[in-house]
Amino acid sequence: MRKKVLLSDVVTAVKGRVLNNGDADYVRWVVSSGLMSDVLTTEEEEILLLSSLTTTQVVRTADMVGAHAILLACGKPISSDTVSLASELGITLISCEIPVFEAGHLLAPLFFGD
Amino acid sequence: MPHRFPILSEDSADKVPSLTMEIIFRLKVKDAMMTSLWTATKKHTFREIQTVMRDNEISGVPVLDDNRLVGIVSVSDIINALDSGHIEEPIEAYMSKQLIVLEDDMPLSFAVSYYNKYPYRRFPVINKNKEFVGILTTKDVLTAILNEMNNEINILENQLHHDKVELPNQIIREYIIKQFDFEKAGQASFKLKKLLKEKEVSRKIIRRASVAAYEMEINVAIHSNGGKITFVLEKDSITIITKDTGPGIADVAQAIEEGYSTANDWIRSLGFGAGMGIPNTKRVSDEFKIESEPGKGTIVKSVIYLEETDESQ
Repeated sequence: MRKKVLLSDVVTAVKGRVLNNGDADYVRWVVSSGLMSDVLTTEEEEILLLSSLTTTQVVRTADMVGAHAILLACGKPISSDTVSLASELGITLISCEIPVFEAGHLLAPLFFGD
Repeated sequence: MPHRFPILSEDSADKVPSLTMEIIFRLKVKDAMMTSLWTATKKHTFREIQTVMRDNEISGVPVLDDNRLVGIVSVSDIINALDSGHIEEPIEAYMSKQLIVLEDDMPLSFAVSYYNKYPYRRFPVINKNKEFVGILTTKDVLTAILNEMNNEINILENQLHHDKVELPNQIIREYIIKQFDFEKAGQASFKLKKLLKEKEVSRKIIRRASVAAYEMEINVAIHSNGGKITFVLEKDSITIITKDTGPGIADVAQAIEEGYSTANDWIRSLGFGAGMGIPNTKRVSDEFKIESEPGKGTIVKSVIYLEETDESQ
């Protein structure tokens, strides 16, 4: 099984801002896509969903695949609907200013390191 | 030419949904009319009535002699009185006495036809003893029809949730999906997920069922005119069915192919419409069926076995 990565370490790595604290404090893998159907094909569990889409459907998709957290990149404005749905579903919601590719680059050592 | 009240004109009647017709035949004038009113007697002056009209923002006052309707004073009568200089005089000599009245037991359809036939916006209402009982305005008619339609829609919506008869060891849930309701799409799937959790279905199965239900729900919301999604949970399987009201799929074989989509940029910008919805649903299903007819609608059915089989791994 993949190792646990604490969400607090994720927040530090991408200089993120926590918009909602969910039920879990860790993830084991990152799935990144702007296409929700793509996310729904993943077999991984306890994931961090990294995306630049900020609609409520991102949160619904995360919930369907049992994601523990969502990281919304590119500093896009996030509606209160998106935040309140994450809160309702117990999913951690983090936003960061950097683009998706850069966020992935900064997160990689946490997941692939020793 | 603009129609005034097209509901009951000869050539439009057969285009009106039968429920609307039924409502305006079922409702009586007395169900819609106003009964709390200002009335006058013949001895009142136009000035007195004008004051009542202005203070209460009304445009017509019936004139009674005991309970008998003897006339009506409208805004145009007041204007005439001002014009001709008899505003301070009793109304008896000048008020409209040729009255078109409705009876309280008439169906509302009758009143609607009166609005087509006569230029008036309000009709006095009498009972079968010829006593004055109320006034019916166009606003009263609209309010009554809208209220009744709301009641009917409530009844229909409740039927949709409850008219499925559950067999023993079977749980059925049904939800309406509205076209382009992107905010709410996914709610039904969320409820399915919750139900399966309560029933202690395994995590892997819940995930597959959630993905199937969610993709199917999104498909109805973005591609159809709206429809419904039904979940049937049985001892050894969960069946998910979506039924929509159109427009249907011209080439089903093509629609099942991964990457084929008719979605527009707006849908794509929301993270869907890449032609993966149907293939995704099929991938997580143990049984999958899609039936569609252009101009009619599409039925998609996904069955997922609760026991993991080798084929579904």
